Amino acid sequence: MSKKLLSIFVLTIFVLATVLAGCSSSKNNTSSANETNTQKQETAKPVTIKLGMWSSSPAEKKIVDDQIAKFKEKYPNIDVQIETIVGDYMQKLQTELASNTAPDIFYLDSMPAPQLMSSGVLEPLDDYIKKYNVDVNDFEPALLSAFQWEGKTYGLPKDFNTLALFYNKDMFKAAGINEPPKTWEELRDVAKKLTKDGVKGLVLSADLARFDAFINQNGGSVYQDGKVTLNLPENAQALDFYVGLITKDKVADTPQNMGEGWNGDAFAAKKAAMAIEGGWMIPFLKEKAPDLNYGIAELPAGKQKSTMAFTVAYVMNKNSKHKDEAFKLIEFLTGKEGQQFVVDSGLALPSRKSMQEGFKEKYPERAAFVDGASYAVPWQFGLYGTKVVDAANKACEALIMKQISSAQQALDNAQKEVGQ
Amino acid sequence: MEAKMTMKKRYLYEALSGYAFALPFIASISIFLIGPLIYAFIISFKEFFLNPEASRWVGFTNYTKLFSDPTVKRALLNTTLYSLGVVPTQLIIALILALIVNSDIKGKTFFRVAYYIPTVTSTVAVSVIFLYLFKADGLVNALLAKFGIQGPTWFNDVRFALPSIMMMAIWSSVGNYMVIFLAGLQDIPSELYEAAEVDGANKFQRFFKITLPMLRPIVFFNLVMSLIGTFQVFDQAYVVSQGTGGPLDATMTVVLNIYRTGFRDFNMGYASAMAFVLFVIILILTLIQRKLFKEETY
Repeated sequence: MSKKLLSIFVLTIFVLATVLAGCSSSKNNTSSANETNTQKQETAKPVTIKLGMWSSSPAEKKIVDDQIAKFKEKYPNIDVQIETIVGDYMQKLQTELASNTAPDIFYLDSMPAPQLMSSGVLEPLDDYIKKYNVDVNDFEPALLSAFQWEGKTYGLPKDFNTLALFYNKDMFKAAGINEPPKTWEELRDVAKKLTKDGVKGLVLSADLARFDAFINQNGGSVYQDGKVTLNLPENAQALDFYVGLITKDKVADTPQNMGEGWNGDAFAAKKAAMAIEGGWMIPFLKEKAPDLNYGIAELPAGKQKSTMAFTVAYVMNKNSKHKDEAFKLIEFLTGKEGQQFVVDSGLALPSRKSMQEGFKEKYPERAAFVDGASYAVPWQFGLYGTKVVDAANKACEALIMKQISSAQQALDNAQKEVGQ
Repeated sequence: MEAKMTMKKRYLYEALSGYAFALPFIASISIFLIGPLIYAFIISFKEFFLNPEASRWVGFTNYTKLFSDPTVKRALLNTTLYSLGVVPTQLIIALILALIVNSDIKGKTFFRVAYYIPTVTSTVAVSVIFLYLFKADGLVNALLAKFGIQGPTWFNDVRFALPSIMMMAIWSSVGNYMVIFLAGLQDIPSELYEAAEVDGANKFQRFFKITLPMLRPIVFFNLVMSLIGTFQVFDQAYVVSQGTGGPLDATMTVVLNIYRTGFRDFNMGYASAMAFVLFVIILILTLIQRKLFKEETY
């Protein structure tokens, strides 16, 4: 079976090879003359822009479809073709980029963004931003900064999600708790009261995408000024508290130990009274546990308030043949008109600050997500982000499994593993 | 003179038509196998991130880096343990099953099909089923609880994750080797057994003096295939650990590590170097086996 994988690997490499061969032959005079000819003909005709995206749900696809319908009303000569990538998005995109068949504009998650920005496969958008007078200051600064590299802007964030505390209102009531916890101490106390009859107060996964919020709340950081800072004492303190809820206080557990796949499952199955997740929980819970009576609050604060921002931007392929038209599409999708569709759907938060009040009005019970935006830290750790996440997750796992007892020691090992 | 010309012509015609028929195969082999292989070898000497135009030569850096990479070491260790566990168990069970379904038991067709079915089931589907069976509160643990045993969280336990995958692999691929053994068993001339019986050889003698020696090439073939298969283990580890190789790298295999390096970290150059080292390891192991088997046979 793994031969299949090997052959995919080999095939990919071959595609790269043919592209290289194709590139060198196109330097030939006659063929490049032909190319410019066809290009001229194409601009006379309506232009087709390809948009690459993944689709987590039909609802998400619908947002983009609706946005494009509106876009076409405005720009009848620009046709938009959506290419929905199923399966491993980055894997497919990587091959497409290398073989020069990638869409003109496409989704890009903040985590792999540095690698794409630094490798020169994306078109910097600064000139277009100036040319078309786009108000980039309206974007949440933390989100925009995730798509800037060495002074250039490569993407405009289309929407985002922050982490918040989901709590089971019925369980809170039964335990005589009136308010969601606001500090770490309150979180621990509340979780203690809620832990009974086979239910844990809180479900926590051994995932940096969750405990990084705690690290930042404690004044620590994982990545700062281009350096990995996994083993700061503040980080160890935060991890100690996080893991301690599971191992020492025994008021929390991992979804796996509860026999569930992820935090959402455990919360939906009422095996935990609280869970730390993002806006994606709402459609999930609607489907999986429609009767669950829950509330959403801001994450409890440590020394300070903090949460994670998971964001996706539209970026432009460096090899796009119709860059102006492609930018017009990006501008529309991330502009106020396009963002209105994001607001209406309620699936994610609009990345423009000016649109966020509208979101809060429409979905007052989800205000916690928007309130977190101002102090959120984007999910991104530089060029070797995936390694950082691996090492940090392993440190957390080792602590939960009691393979190692000191959080500082675990993070020191992780820092060594990342090799910086 | 004229006859000679036509002979020559006909020979040429035949040769050409032969090549013409073979062309699709030759072309596809060179396009999809040899070309990429050469290209992969080239980029294993490059720093290759996403953009072919921006890649640059780094000599043997990718290869030397392998020796100090803890994840590479761990992946190699896991894969070796996996092979040591899976290969012998798998082949012995497969041989026993083949002997059973080759005998005159009732409903042997049913057993042949039953043992073979897991082989044609997708490994991903098998993995998902095993995930359900071996969940913290899954069927296996529920069964163990009946005997008062508190089962581990199998796939999430550092000690049990790899053995769980090994069990899964043995169960799902043993049918494949059974069928090949079966074909080998049916190839052994029955006269040999008849003659042995006349000479008064018992069941065990017949097995060790006739069956096993006659099966030698089949055993060799299965051994090589099984070893290559185990060194390329990927799907099970990928599904069970959700692509992470966890918990704590317990299910990190060589191919999973190559996949992650290439397609998640976009480091194609380094991943290619890993792939070539794996190729060399498998080549060496196969050559060793060949040598061992040759010396014993002849």
